[in-house]
Amino acid sequence: MLEKQHAGSPVLHIDRVNLTLGGHEILRDINLSIREGEFVCVVGPSGCGKTTMLRLLAGLYQPTSGDVTYRSTRMTHPRQDIAIVFQDYGKALLPWRTAHGNVSLAFEALNAPREGRDDKIEQLLAKVGLGGQGKKYPNQLSGGMQQRLQIARCLAQTPSVLLMDEPFGALDAMTRQGLQDEILSIVRGTGATAFFVTHDLEEAIYLGDRVIGLLPHPGRVAIEVEVNLPRDRNQLTTREDPEFLRLRRQLFDFIKEAES
Amino acid sequence: MKIDRLLWTGASLLFFAALIWFWQFVSDNRWVSPVFLPGPDRAWNAMMRGLQTGDLGLRWIATIERMIYGWLLASLAGIFLGAVIGSSEMARAYIGPSLELMRPLPASAVVPLAIALLGLSESMVLGVIAFGALWPMLLATVHGFSAVEPRLYEVSRALGLSRSAVIFKISLPSSMPDILAGMRLSLTVALILAVVGEMLASREGLGSHIMLAARAFRSADLFAGVILLGVTGLVSALLLGWFESWMLRWRESR
Repeated sequence: MLEKQHAGSPVLHIDRVNLTLGGHEILRDINLSIREGEFVCVVGPSGCGKTTMLRLLAGLYQPTSGDVTYRSTRMTHPRQDIAIVFQDYGKALLPWRTAHGNVSLAFEALNAPREGRDDKIEQLLAKVGLGGQGKKYPNQLSGGMQQRLQIARCLAQTPSVLLMDEPFGALDAMTRQGLQDEILSIVRGTGATAFFVTHDLEEAIYLGDRVIGLLPHPGRVAIEVEVNLPRDRNQLTTREDPEFLRLRRQLFDFIKEAES
Repeated sequence: MKIDRLLWTGASLLFFAALIWFWQFVSDNRWVSPVFLPGPDRAWNAMMRGLQTGDLGLRWIATIERMIYGWLLASLAGIFLGAVIGSSEMARAYIGPSLELMRPLPASAVVPLAIALLGLSESMVLGVIAFGALWPMLLATVHGFSAVEPRLYEVSRALGLSRSAVIFKISLPSSMPDILAGMRLSLTVALILAVVGEMLASREGLGSHIMLAARAFRSADLFAGVILLGVTGLVSALLLGWFESWMLRWRESR
C-alpha cells in the first residue's frame, strides 16, 4: 500500500522556479517533484536557499517566476494541511501558553469542536513523549521537549505534508537521534509527505528516501540521490550499511567541492 | 532566602515607624507651627473623625471612582489605539511623530481647554484624567505590538489563524508585559489628575477637601486627605502588582 502511494503522482511540485528577494537572486531554475508519502531531505552549505525553498513550499513566499503547486493547485498562501516545524522552537512557541495551550492553538485555528479537544491534545502530547507535561510552560521544558511540543502542535493540524526546517539543529546528539527515530515513525505512521532541511549529511541520508543537494549564489539543485536503504531505519545498522557509507561519501565530496 | 525577605520587610517597617516618630517629635517640639504641621496623632484623629461622620469617606470614594473610571477609559482607548498603530508600520510612520509631539504635554495644561469645551463638569475631570493617563498606555501598547516575535506571525499563517485570532491570541498576550507596565504608570497619573481636576473644578473629592482645608488653615484635615491619597496610591499599586504577576505567571515559572 505504502509502496503504491510512493509511486503516485506528485504532492508538491516546483516547476522552473526563480526567486529574487530585494534584488538578490536567491533561487534559480528549481525543479522538484515530491511524491505522496516520500521523505525528501535537502542539504547544502549555508546561504544556498534551503530554507527559502521550504518557505516556497509552505506558501510563505511566492516565486518570482515559475509555479509551486500542491496537488495541482497553486500555492498562493499557507494551507492548514501543510505543517511547518521551525528550527527556533523557542520563538515558534507561545511562551504565555502551557504545552496544552500551545497544541490547542492549532485546534482553535481549525475551529475544531471543543468537545474531546482536551483528550486529543493529551494524546498528541503523549505521542511526542510529553505525556503529563501539559500544564508546563515552554520555558519549563528542555530544548528537545520544546521541539517535541512544536511537532505535537503540527500534528494537531493532521497535515498531509510536514515541512521541517533544521528542526534538530540546535539539539544535542543523543536527543537528536531519539527525535530522528520518532519523526520517522510519526511520518510513516500518518503516511504524511515530508520535506526536511538539514545541514547534517548523515541525518539527511538516515531520514530520507531522497536527498537533494543545493549550491549557493544563486541557490540551485546540484545533486539528487535516491536512498536505497531499507525503509525501516536503525541508528546502528543503517548507519553501518555500505550503501549508507557510499551515499555519505558521495554527498561529502559534493559539499567539499562546493566549499572549495 | 525567606528570612532575608522578612528582615528587609522588618527594616522597611522600622524606617516607616521612625519617620512617624520623627514627625511626632517635630510637631511636639513645635519646630513648625501647628497651624501648618499637625502631629500624626492629630492627623489620624481628623481622618478617623472624617471617616466616621461619613463626609471624608464619601469624598475618598469619589476620588477613587474618578481615578478608576478615568484610568479604565484611558486603558481601553490606549490599548485599542496602540494596537491599531502598533500593528501597522504605515500607521506608525504617519501617526508616530504627532504622538511624540503631544505626549510631553502636561495634562494639567490641557485643563483650561477642557474647561472651555466641557465646563466645570464631571466629564471634564474624567476627560482630563483619561487624556493624561492615555499616553503611557498608548506608547506601551504601541511598543508591545511592534515588538511581537515575527516568527509567531508565520506560525499563525501556517496554522491558518484568522485575523482577529492573531490579534487576541498572539499580539495582545505577547504585548501584555508592556501593556501592564503602561497601566501601572497611567494609574499613578490618573490619581494625580483626579486630585488636580477636583481642585480646579471643585468637584466633591479628596482634592477639593485638601484645598478647602488648606484655605481654612485646618491642617489636620489637610493631612488626613493626603494620608488617604497615599493609601490609595499604595493599595492600588499593590493590587495592580498582584494582578500583573498573576497575568505574567508564565514568566516566573522557571
